[in-house]
Amino acid sequence: MSLQFLADGLVAGATIGLGAVGVTLTYSILRFANFAYGEFISWGCYLTLLLASAIGAWASASVAPIGALSIGPNVLAAGLLAMALTGLLAIGLDVLLFRRLRRKFSSITAVIASFGASMALRAALEAIFSSRPTYFSQELQIAIRVGGLRITPDQLALLGLAVLLAGALQLLLTRTNAGRSMRAVSENPTLARIVGIDVAAVIRLTWFIGGALACASGIMLGLVVQIRPTMGSELLLPLFAAAILGGIGSVPGALLGGLLVGFAEAATVQLIGAEWRAAVAFIILIAVLLLRPAGLFGQAA
Amino acid sequence: MLRVQDLRAGYERGAPIVRGVSIEAKGGEVVAILGPNGAGKSTLVKAIAGTVPIESGAVILDGRNITATPAHRMAGVGLAFVPQTDNVFTTLSVIDNLELAAHGLAGARRRMRLAAIFELFPDLGRQRGLDAGRLSGGQRQMLAVARALIVMPKALLLDEPSAGLSPKVVAELLAKLAEIRDSGVCIVLVEQNVRAALTVADRLYVLVEGRNRLEGPKRDLLQDPEIAALYLGGATRAAGAGTGP
Repeated sequence: MSLQFLADGLVAGATIGLGAVGVTLTYSILRFANFAYGEFISWGCYLTLLLASAIGAWASASVAPIGALSIGPNVLAAGLLAMALTGLLAIGLDVLLFRRLRRKFSSITAVIASFGASMALRAALEAIFSSRPTYFSQELQIAIRVGGLRITPDQLALLGLAVLLAGALQLLLTRTNAGRSMRAVSENPTLARIVGIDVAAVIRLTWFIGGALACASGIMLGLVVQIRPTMGSELLLPLFAAAILGGIGSVPGALLGGLLVGFAEAATVQLIGAEWRAAVAFIILIAVLLLRPAGLFGQAA
Repeated sequence: MLRVQDLRAGYERGAPIVRGVSIEAKGGEVVAILGPNGAGKSTLVKAIAGTVPIESGAVILDGRNITATPAHRMAGVGLAFVPQTDNVFTTLSVIDNLELAAHGLAGARRRMRLAAIFELFPDLGRQRGLDAGRLSGGQRQMLAVARALIVMPKALLLDEPSAGLSPKVVAELLAKLAEIRDSGVCIVLVEQNVRAALTVADRLYVLVEGRNRLEGPKRDLLQDPEIAALYLGGATRAAGAGTGP
């Protein structure tokens, strides 16, 4: 049996894991499942594409691929900018929509509203960019062999990026005051206020980080697969499966959950057939909710 | 000095639970708020601390009107609050709980305050790395008080700190409160456990149905047997004589 699914699953898993970290953070602090999260992924990817062509037009030398990668420095710079912009987009959506609902209604209202926001954001992308798939680069990538598995230089670089971002986030959460404040608000928002934490600022930070991670996940997906307006919404189920498998609120859990979902999907594609791929996340989600609702690292409610 | 003037407050607008309460607490004084269930004692301290909306009235701390100050700025202006339940972050370590409360302080002052807190609560110093969720009920209550004290508040509000604790732990906690009072902090204590409150309080307020019913120095109130039997749970003989200053 070929073990190629391990390499494919690792890259898909890192993409899912990074997005799942954003889902788990926003879920644990804002207390609702944000179904517009997938759109942050798509928007992040399209913003990167847009900015990359703008930077490329302004400084044409920046389009030349870096080493064995398929992309140039323009995409890297655009990615960083787009992460910040997607973070701001998430804050903007909160100010326009969720913040008002939080004050007056239960979280289920916010969930339904997020469905609406998701459709609107996706339709806007289709209107602006059309639904035709596009790519960051037309460069061909030659896979290298690592221990019998094929992996492209892009995929290796993306794995490094995922590890870097996840590590930075874990440090932020455990070593900085902002991170401690986020964990405190996640556990008990009322006590957080009493202790002197500006909960509104923590919520803004959470949206920003969630949006930025969604963007990173979108860039990974856009580089490895393709860029489409529905790319994010199609990833939503695996993201939630990973976040719940890892235990809501747990960053390492979401990453591990993402990797497990990624491996399971890749193994299914290789062993059973690609048409079953979409069912995998769904089966994992149902199984976790039935057998271990708190997930791998979650606290029992 | 903390002065609360004719405060009306409640969770829903137009349905106040606290319906015109006035209290005063000077620095270096423990004031106990007593009264039957549903008298509005907890709502009163929550409203002072900014977590329950105030409809009218004023909260004044050392001459500064803090009625409209949001809850998260209260610690900064010198008013600290220890809620009755869920008053520590169980998923954070002891030191992280304290560091969070100290985040507004500059580096050197922050370290100084942490050292002072560990001197006052040596047990917490020994358990600084432990998740607060693994502390006993009494230790959690001590951590909650320590957390409130880290910003050196002028006023400290406590909502039923003795709830669920053994008599021995309650005695330790009250001794700590007396020590804190003696350092000049004014303490407002809401208690169901009248006996506990009487051992440490200097003055008492009795609330009934969201309004002031009685107030005065502990000894004056305790000398009236009718008052004691009606509002103080007949606890006078046990705790009245000789324990307070």
